[in-house]
This record gives sequence, structure tokens and C-alpha cells, in this order.
Amino acid sequence: MLTLEAILLGLIMGVFYGLMAFGLTLIFGILKVVYFAHGESFMIGAFTYSLLALWLGVPLWLAIPSAIVVGGVVGVIVERLLIRPLYEKFGDWQAMRDEYAIIVTFGLSLFLVNLANQVFGPYPFRGPDLTDVARFEFGPLIVGGHRLAAAVLGGAVLIGAYLFIQHSFGGKQIRAVAQNRFGASIAGIDTRMVSMLVFALAGGLAALSGALLAPLFHASPDVGVLPALKSFVIVVLGGMGSPIGSLVGGLILGVLESLGALYISYTYRDTYAFAILILVLLLRPQGLFGERAREV
Amino acid sequence: MSTHDHMRRTGLGGLAIALLALGSGGVAAQDQEPIRVGVTLTQSPPGSVIQGTEVLRGLEIARDLFNEQGGVLDRPFELIVEDTQGIPERGRAAVEKLITSDKVVALTGEHQSSVCLAEIGLAARHNVPFINTNCWSDDIRKEGHPQVFSPNMYNSRVATAMAEVIQGLGVDSVFALAENTDWGIGQAEALDELLEQTGADIDYQYELLDREARDFTPVIQGVRGENPSLVALIMLPPAAYVALNQLNEQGVLPSEDTWLFEGGGLFSYPDFWENVREAAQYGIYFDLYHTDMALSDLGAQVREEYMQRHDGTPSRLVFQAADSLLLIKEAIANAGSTDPDAMIEWLQQAEVPGTRGTITFSDEPGPLFQQWVDTPYVTYQVTELDQKLEETTLISAPDLGVQLDQLRQPKN
Repeated sequence: MLTLEAILLGLIMGVFYGLMAFGLTLIFGILKVVYFAHGESFMIGAFTYSLLALWLGVPLWLAIPSAIVVGGVVGVIVERLLIRPLYEKFGDWQAMRDEYAIIVTFGLSLFLVNLANQVFGPYPFRGPDLTDVARFEFGPLIVGGHRLAAAVLGGAVLIGAYLFIQHSFGGKQIRAVAQNRFGASIAGIDTRMVSMLVFALAGGLAALSGALLAPLFHASPDVGVLPALKSFVIVVLGGMGSPIGSLVGGLILGVLESLGALYISYTYRDTYAFAILILVLLLRPQGLFGERAREV
Repeated sequence: MSTHDHMRRTGLGGLAIALLALGSGGVAAQDQEPIRVGVTLTQSPPGSVIQGTEVLRGLEIARDLFNEQGGVLDRPFELIVEDTQGIPERGRAAVEKLITSDKVVALTGEHQSSVCLAEIGLAARHNVPFINTNCWSDDIRKEGHPQVFSPNMYNSRVATAMAEVIQGLGVDSVFALAENTDWGIGQAEALDELLEQTGADIDYQYELLDREARDFTPVIQGVRGENPSLVALIMLPPAAYVALNQLNEQGVLPSEDTWLFEGGGLFSYPDFWENVREAAQYGIYFDLYHTDMALSDLGAQVREEYMQRHDGTPSRLVFQAADSLLLIKEAIANAGSTDPDAMIEWLQQAEVPGTRGTITFSDEPGPLFQQWVDTPYVTYQVTELDQKLEETTLISAPDLGVQLDQLRQPKN
């Protein structure tokens, strides 16, 4: 029973990981760069939800979408001001665009963490639970009330995001740009709008993850650091640029962490992700659903 | 006298006058030169910022009170604060800078054991008095540095308090959740030793948790499976808050089958109730201050000043910080200078009326070296949501003994 419960809890955590990784893999898919400030979208969502509800008394059904919107808006601002030079103005810098992306996004991450520290203070804020039910008991299985409710909501949004990417016109544009940016622009797709859409989506989903976990993890300036690191692992595990890979990868990581912590050692819980990263890079570097790069 | 001689004499006279003026101006400046005290504490994550904030508040109140009285040796106190983030390497760098660049006469404020352990070696090497404000690990005293004085709580005393209650309750199994720092590991091990020494048949185990982690569910599943009679929590915020809430989420606490004993003074932090709700009820909390505790005149002044400046009642850290600066002040005043050897020599024999009792230091080598051995402590039970400190039920206190019949458990 403990194993079954661990698997269930792992799947629940996997949904939150998936929300983080989904956006990150899309960013990588269209720009082929790593976005180091992704964890701060998580942090922004956690603070937005917690403080709107606690300080302003905003009802939860409004606080959650507000967190998504704020995360999305921040994503758009970042894309417009910091990321667009990667593929627009500094064409002569193509040889250095990876370095530029790393330095800029890493610096942005440090800036946002310290800004939050100054604005909100370093104290943790526990966001309100989505439900008054303390826990659900299914026979011997116990799952926290908020945790289950948050996972259901997060899972629904994640599935919706996946369906958007797969079947909507906007989603098809995103996939086209991910396949070939130049070709997509020739076909008439506004690649700048697509980039903004991807950053809005990534920021919004990460912010949702932060908001849903705020009652469990407590909002604080550095709350997004570990989830961001794990989302990088999931992107590699699932395949860079693969939305379905990030979904499945998130669930796999959540379950493996949960079982490993229960049966091997809790102390190394956060290292299992990096052990998986090393194994994937050694044995299947393209990830579960990624494609091997082809060179001509 | 030739013109040349006249000019030379005039020049020399002018130079002499100028030197005299500079000298007297320099002496005058030195009279007003503040006494610089180096303060290392946490002001940003990952360390415990709430602790650092309370310590800083206590030091600032004490500084202002002492400066109103003329400071010491007619010199005001100046606090030079460095943020260590709760990271040992940062602590070392901060101490290096405070000693070599800021030329502080003493160091204080540190409240996290791992950082203390990194700092005291440097303080000893430079022979700078180090007043340990809140580092509880016994390893700090075991180092045996004569520069280090500990007027605060220590792990073996906390473990004694815990063991008293555990024995009194007659529990047969204890599961401790401790953070993976020198303090957390030390206290978990000290409790293990003490419980063995009692000879009672108590099944004791502990798990070390990363203070930066946020999901302790797998461990708590294990705790639930063990169904212990008592869970001991040896962690600092925010991880401590998260762990408590997740113990509640999993149905472990509060419970009529399982007691909670919190061994880190968690209840006194200003953000406690904002972060911990039902999980906190019926818990037994260890602390160094209760509103029923007698305070000295200085303690009462500190308390009043805190309540005027900030919301709520002061935590124990405020009093500990005030005591730290008081010791530095008394050491300088009685030594007649800021000479470190004179200060250290005086402190070793000192009897200083602090905020909560008279502070003296043991000369016994080992974990009690230069430690205030009889540091007062209390334990109390929290029974209602949003309960204030003065409304909690006192279980043990100086001059009270241990009153376990006051304890209540929830009805499941």
C-alpha cells in the first residue's frame, strides 16, 4: 500500500513538474536556447497567488488565473526585451547567441530572486488551500486535499495546453517555427508573435505550477530554484522540444523520486533527477520522444 | 640671525604648531570614534532570515539603549552587519572582512551553527572576542577557543529538556525529523544519547531532511507507517513550517496517538501562525522565553522597546541578541579598553545580569567550555489556533519543574 501511495504521490508531483517542463521545452523548441529564469516564473506565480489571496482577499477562483496572467505577461516582457535580440537585431552575433542567452537569462534569474527578496521580504508565505478538505482517504491511501485538487486542476490545464499545441492553429504555428524558423517565416507565419506566445504560455504554466504548490511549498524568493533544475532534467529526459516528452518525463521523474525516497534514501531525493539526467545523456541523449540530430 | 635662520625657525615653529593641532584634533576624534562591533547573520535565503531579522532587531535595540546611556568609555556602539545567507563560506568571508577591513573589536550575532563553526576559527586566529548569539551545536564549545563565549542555548541542554518530557510522558517510540545542519544533526544525536542514558525502553530513530527541500512526503509516509508515540521536530523555517504542514496533511499530527515536540523555538517566530495552521495545535514547544518568565530591568526595557518598534512580542532571539551586546559592553567597560586579551580575561570570570538571568561561563573543557550552563528555558503547549504566547500552557520553566498533567491531546 505504501508503494501504491508513493506512486500516486509521485504522479501528482509529476503533474506540477510537467507544467514547468512543458513551457521550457517549447522555448527550447523554437529558439534552441536554455532559459535559466524559468524557475522565477514559478516563484512569481507562487507570490501572486498567495499575496492576492492573503493580502487583498481575492477569491481563489480569481487568484489562480491572475497568477497565470502575471506569469504570462512577465514572459512576454522578457521575450520582447531580452530574448528578441537573439534572433533579430544582432544577426552578426549568431556565433555567440548561446552564450548571450545563458548570460542574460541567468542574470535575469538572479535579478528576479533578489528583487522579490527586497519587495516581499525573505519570509515564506503559505498560500491558501484550494479545498477545506484536509485529506482524502481511499482505503489505506491518504492524499492531501489541496494536493489532489491542485493536481487535478494542473493536469487539466496541462492536457489543455498539449491539445492546444497539437490541434489549434496557434499550436501548429508554434510547431512550424520549432521545425524551421526561416521556413515558417517564408510561409507567412509571424515568428515574433509565435515567440511571444510561447513565452507567455511557458510563463503562465510555470506560474500556475507555483500557485498550485504555494500552499505546500510556501512562496519565498528562492522557491523556484529546485523546480527549475528538475524541469531541465525533464526536458532532457522527455526530449528537447517535445511537449509529450515533458508530460511523460514529468510523471516518470515524480514517480522515480517518490519511490527512491521511500525505498532507497530520502536524503538523496533531489539527486535522483540528476542521476537520471546522466543516464539519459549517456544512453539515449535524444530523450524518450526526441529525435536524433541529423547532419548533412 | 640671518634671514635663512629666521625662516627656518619660523617654518619649524609653524610645523610644530600644525603637528600639535593635528594631534589634538586626532585625539578628539578618537574620543568620539565609535566602537565597531561586527555582526554576522542571515538576511537572505537559504539561511533562516526570520532568525537573522529578530537577532538584528535585538542588537539594534540594545545598541540604542546603550548609546543613550553614553555608550562605553564615552564611545557609542556601531554595528557593522554582514549577510552570511546562512552559508558557512559566506560567514568566513564576512568575518575576514569585518576583522581585517572594518577593524571590529568583537563579533556577535551569528545564529546558525554551521556558519558559527566556520567563523570561530578565524576569530580565534585573529584573537577577536566572539559572542555566540544563538549557535546551539555542542561542537562549537568542543573546539575550545578562548575567544568564543556562548550565553545561549546548547544542544545537550535542549536534548535534556526533550528527554525529560519524553520520559515523563512514558512514550515508547520517538521519530525525530532533523535538518541536515550541524545543529540539527547534533541535537538528534544528543537526544539519542540521552534517551539511551535514561535506560528507558524507547525506540528512537531520526531522519535528516534537507533544509532547502520542500516536499517531505516520502519521509512522512514512513513516519506514518511507524506510528510513533512522539515526533520530534528539529528544523528551522521555512522547511520546518513545510514539514509541520505535511505532517498534518498526512494525518500524523495533531493526533491523540502521537505527540509533537518541537525543539527549535519555532513558535516564537513572528510569521509562525501565517505559515502553520492546524498542524501546530497540541504541539509541545521548546523556547527560551515566555511571558510568564521573569525579566530583568534590561529585559523589560528591551521588551517594551521591541513592542513599540514592531508588531507583536519579542522572541527569545531578541533577548539573546541584547545579552550578546551587553556582554561586549561590560567586557570593554571592565577591561577599560578594547584590548581583546583584557576583554577575554574579564569575560572568563564575569557574572553579568542579563535580560533573563545572571550570565556566567563555565571553564570546563568540552561541550560546556565558556558556555552559560544554566541558560533558562521553558516548554509550553499550544492548544488553539492563533494562540498568543501568553495564552499557551506552561509545561516546564525555571522554578516550576515539569508539569505534564497540564498537557492535552485532541480527540480524534
